[in-house]
Amino acid sequence: MRDRTLGIAVAIAIILSCSAASAQVKPPADATMPPASDQAHDLSGVWFDDHPRLIRVQERYWAYTFTLDAPPMTSWGQAKFDAAKPSFGPHAIPLAESNDPLYHACTPIGFPLVFLYPLPMQIVQSPGEVIMLFEWDSLRHQIFTDGRKHDETLGPLWMGDSIGHWEGDTLVTDTVNFNDKTWLDRMGHPHSESLHVVERIRRVDHDHLVDDITIEDPKAYTKPWVAHLPFVLKPKWTLAEQFCEDVESFQTMDKAAATPAK
Amino acid sequence: MRIHRLEVAFSIAIALCISQAASAQTKQQSKSPVAAAVANSPHDLSGIWFDDRPRPVTVEERYWIFKFNAEEPPMTAWGEAQYKAAKSSFGTSAVPLAETNDPLYHECSPPGFPRIFLHPFPMQIVQTPGEVIMLFEYDSIRHQIFTDGRKHDETLGPLWMGDSIGHWEGDTLVADTVNFNDKTWLDRIGHPHSDQLHVIERLRRVDHDHLVDDITIEDPKAYTKPWTTRIEFGLRPKWSLVEQFCEDEESFKSLDKDAAAPTK
Repeated sequence: MRDRTLGIAVAIAIILSCSAASAQVKPPADATMPPASDQAHDLSGVWFDDHPRLIRVQERYWAYTFTLDAPPMTSWGQAKFDAAKPSFGPHAIPLAESNDPLYHACTPIGFPLVFLYPLPMQIVQSPGEVIMLFEWDSLRHQIFTDGRKHDETLGPLWMGDSIGHWEGDTLVTDTVNFNDKTWLDRMGHPHSESLHVVERIRRVDHDHLVDDITIEDPKAYTKPWVAHLPFVLKPKWTLAEQFCEDVESFQTMDKAAATPAK
Repeated sequence: MRIHRLEVAFSIAIALCISQAASAQTKQQSKSPVAAAVANSPHDLSGIWFDDRPRPVTVEERYWIFKFNAEEPPMTAWGEAQYKAAKSSFGTSAVPLAETNDPLYHECSPPGFPRIFLHPFPMQIVQTPGEVIMLFEYDSIRHQIFTDGRKHDETLGPLWMGDSIGHWEGDTLVADTVNFNDKTWLDRIGHPHSDQLHVIERLRRVDHDHLVDDITIEDPKAYTKPWTTRIEFGLRPKWSLVEQFCEDEESFKSLDKDAAAPTK
């Protein structure tokens, strides 16, 4: 039962994305297209989760958490995790009983939790910025690459304050100034305001992108740990509109996947 | 009292943008090849833009913080009935916030398009081959205009932001947006729109630092004829967008509270 419902949810997500893609035609060359000399730092395009799909649903941990292994929690982190009542993952409970903060009046998902939502992400670049646009809830992850420092007057923020620099072909981003109102993942692993996220984003070939994410949060975790997010280019897709309209709209979307195993 | 409160709200909004955005900004990096190419393009609209209409006028004259034109749009009977039923917390007939039926205050509903233009926060335009994208600071909203020659996708929608395609006529980006839902107000004082809303924008960078968006509103259910409005933007090269989410119903309300109190 669980296999099927999760499978449907994933299928729905894919269909939703593809529906937007059917209208796509080949973009014309334009004066604003980045010149060839910048292509080493070109991450632009519409990207989609590229974890393997042909394995058993139970093994698809990336639908609700970042790593197969439990992250190394502090006692504070463990207590928070034990108090979480997720509607996803091995400890899922019925949606009506969940205390997932996401189901409170369309609360923003936050970063890096947004990576666990199975909808496309588009990277756009402008001089001094790399911006991830997420289909889900119109979120954006704006990384300043113009040499600025973190702005300590900002925050606490849902998406954090992100700066980045290039190390060869890898964009290294550093994100701080988080609030503690979101879960780190969909099964209730916590984070505090001390969350510090470092991403190493690299286009391994034209059609593939990896984002190696280091999670550091001394209040919640005993040591930094790393998640590996693979993405594949979807040249014919475009982002569609997916707003959280009200609590019900979130719940409807997640309902199929949230039903606990019978 | 009313003037003061509106002033404060407006100042707060501006101060937020300036202090937070400007303080984060460091010296612009030297121009990359990308920047140089874009700067030379007659189709370059990119940058951070902010409402650029005159500020040193009386608050009563600043209609553009809650509606598109000083004059009333030509409403149909349906439109008029909807407008009369609206209880806005803005404008000359404002009711207290607790009594408003503004759909924005229902569980963080998106403001939709084109109402998003009436929220006094910065907007950033980014461009990619085949797309011009407006990123609004307010509620992380985006207005994505496809310029790759595609047609409207009738399988989409109804949508909060609509489905936007555009093409260049000389130095003017002409954007055409349809496939709207009817869940939002057109403006902040309750002028309506239906799902027949059709918005045409003519976006032009009149000089390096100024952008105008001439908007035609067409909605035969709500308005007897198409009408136009002009939005003027000034470039803010040292600003960057900050995070402004609707966290819960209260956060939208507190952001708008000062401006929403009725005249005493």
